[in-house]
Amino acid sequence: MTHGLTDAQFFDKVSSFLVVFYLALALMNGIAALYLWRSGKMKTWLKLPLPLLGKVSISNALVWLTVGMGFAVLGAAAGGRPDWLSLPESFRDMINESTGPVIYSAGTTVILIILFFFRSFFVRPAVAWTIWNLMWLFLGLSMTDRDFFEIVAKPDNVPIVMLVFLLAFFTWLGTSQAVANDKRMANGEPPLEKLGNEKVLVWPDLVYPELICMIALTAFLIFWAIALPAPLEEAASSVKTPNPSKAPWYFLGLQEMLVYYDPWMAGVVLPSLVVAGLMAIPYLDFNKAGNGYYTIKERMFSYSIFQFGFLEMWITLIVLGTLLRGPNWNFFGPYEHWDAHKVQALNNVNLSEMFWEQFMPWISSFIPWISSSSWALPGTLSLADISPSLDPSNWPSPIAWLGGIVDPFLQFFSLLFGRELPGTLLVLGYFIALPPLMALTVFRNFYKRMGFIRFMVMANLLLFMGSLPIKMLLRWIFDLKYLISIPEYFFNF
Amino acid sequence: MADKKKMSVADILAAARKSDGEGAASDGPTASKPTTAESAPATPEAAAPAKPAGKVKPAKSASGGRLSVAEMMAKARAEKGGGEEKAAPAAKKSADKKPKPAAKKPAAAKAATEPRDTASILAAARKSSKAGPMSKAEAAAKEKANPKAKAKPKILVPPMPEKPAYAKPASGTKKKAKGTADEERRDFLWVGFGSLAAVTGLWSLASLKFLFPNVRREPPSKFKVGFPGAYPAGQVQTKFKAQYGVWIANAEYNGQSQIYALKSVCTHLGCTPSWLDAEQKYKCPCHGSGFYKDGINFEGPAPRPLERCAIRIADDGQIEVDKSRVFQEEMGQWEDPSCYISV
Repeated sequence: MTHGLTDAQFFDKVSSFLVVFYLALALMNGIAALYLWRSGKMKTWLKLPLPLLGKVSISNALVWLTVGMGFAVLGAAAGGRPDWLSLPESFRDMINESTGPVIYSAGTTVILIILFFFRSFFVRPAVAWTIWNLMWLFLGLSMTDRDFFEIVAKPDNVPIVMLVFLLAFFTWLGTSQAVANDKRMANGEPPLEKLGNEKVLVWPDLVYPELICMIALTAFLIFWAIALPAPLEEAASSVKTPNPSKAPWYFLGLQEMLVYYDPWMAGVVLPSLVVAGLMAIPYLDFNKAGNGYYTIKERMFSYSIFQFGFLEMWITLIVLGTLLRGPNWNFFGPYEHWDAHKVQALNNVNLSEMFWEQFMPWISSFIPWISSSSWALPGTLSLADISPSLDPSNWPSPIAWLGGIVDPFLQFFSLLFGRELPGTLLVLGYFIALPPLMALTVFRNFYKRMGFIRFMVMANLLLFMGSLPIKMLLRWIFDLKYLISIPEYFFNF
Repeated sequence: MADKKKMSVADILAAARKSDGEGAASDGPTASKPTTAESAPATPEAAAPAKPAGKVKPAKSASGGRLSVAEMMAKARAEKGGGEEKAAPAAKKSADKKPKPAAKKPAAAKAATEPRDTASILAAARKSSKAGPMSKAEAAAKEKANPKAKAKPKILVPPMPEKPAYAKPASGTKKKAKGTADEERRDFLWVGFGSLAAVTGLWSLASLKFLFPNVRREPPSKFKVGFPGAYPAGQVQTKFKAQYGVWIANAEYNGQSQIYALKSVCTHLGCTPSWLDAEQKYKCPCHGSGFYKDGINFEGPAPRPLERCAIRIADDGQIEVDKSRVFQEEMGQWEDPSCYISV
């Protein structure tokens, strides 16, 4: 998009955007200050002793007005020298070098956990508004970086940037009500939703807002389609894949999953389980609390599992896939140039190879009576192995025919329980041994209330959900490719 | 809780008879309970309207109840004969014989006498709360004020009317003669359905034909790629990828120098990898799978090596690649001499 532009031309292009951007932010803060002032929600934060005026009370409206004026100044500066309004080069380099799939995923997890545990602090309007302003400021300051601009301003990726902001807002909206309700219920009061007259007339209370939303949304979509034309690419060709080749944005979480799993697993089994699991929720949920009002404390388990699945396993993966995956599906920092020849060492090994070729010889070097050379990948079995003295070419036709039918099965299971035994045991243990253990320990009360079948369904859905981050961790820490790898029969886990 | 129990056939019949007796005038839940107290004092009462039966209209049907057969007969006799002494025993007899329906009548009559004029209905409607939706608080207040309203009215099952003769299934002897005009019209319906099925079938066949195009714009599976001398050792030739989807490489595999053709289809999900000369690897842009120069997978999610195509030296000395035959390393097929040319 900015190819072939000189730096001066690029800054011209950015500055025309940034002026509007910063002025909109100034307006946003001004409106917030006006709202606080007119609605009588002004609060005095501190009394500042000034030499001439005496004690001046600094209220929240005044602070946001000042912030708005600050943004207006930034807007003016962006009109003149946008290159001044950027993050320091060293800071950008630091972010580029420190980010990778591991830091990104671990970082978002840690941030989400912090946000969750200190939610009563983060949902305070002043704190939330500060974070909101900082998010926009970060976006504005990063826009002057050519590589960042290239990714974020791409018409394909604009919705993802909107998604990040919208999701932050709506998560705050829900969480703040839940926190307020939890506080009220701790004091023995009913939740906010039970207070007012919650029933309204369909006409006009519902139909009017719907009509207005419909018109506003249509206008917005038309404006968007005019402002950011849909990107058209060259004609499709079966022998040419664009680099990087990205799925539609809503599938980028799936595409990220495919990096760690066999296509059959990440493309068919796990997505179907996501759908089936969501459909199963009403049948698995035995907690009657939280019906018709926001709450977190009363539904701690459901809330945390859902937010983990949605925010962590779906949204952050979409953001990762859209903004941070470049050519050859390599990871690129937000300010990094998309270099198609970036070298990344990713030598992945199957568990069976690790076990038979590295671990067993290493173990046997400690045990003198086992010769270390005897360890190798176990091979496959076939019907001919049963009587090796017979040459298969001399077999009578019925036995050869039988061998043709039996051999694939024999081969598959000998691979599954021979060469791939360590992985098979791990996977079977994970899915068969863990649910009873969970029922006896952590989920004791769940098991009592749900009964055997419902608990097993829930436990297995949970384990499948957990298998994705586990597999990612194994890939990052041990360079593990597959736990069970039988490419001969397209069976990889 | 008695009415919550499942009703036996006898109960249903009793309820049906009762409702029959009451007619249209059923007043709320109190009427639904078949009390013996209601029927016991009714027996003397039943005799009372029976006595003046001859004088006034007998067994006053204005009560809304249906007259029993005996009563109807009594009424008819009374009108015919006009004699008091004749009608009275008949009515009495009916009262003795069938005390139940007769007993209900007074109660039902009482219900029927409730005012039904427009003004009172309007007043009753106005008396109730405002129209439209109400808040939970309002609903609770209303419920408190009128707890009776919550009790569900019992549903009374009316007796099933007897099937009229015309609705009864025709007996075997009464079969319609064939060849009537009605039958002919029905036959024509089959013609219509038949032709519809035929047309649909033809159309399906026609659309099936579209799956097998007349012209297939596919490159031939067998093609020649020049003389072996054009492939210096250690190089991957990418110029046939765009047209045929293969790389021709001259490299070592298992310590043996070979010329082989690798299919440019990723074994993970079928994207087209690119050959990166600087890194000496094939790299897939979709999920980052990487393959060594000999096609063995080493990074990313690809579960198996790239596939080789059949390759041979043709009679004119040129290399000929046959894409229709592929060889998979994990199946041990790369040992097959028809998938490489030794150099």
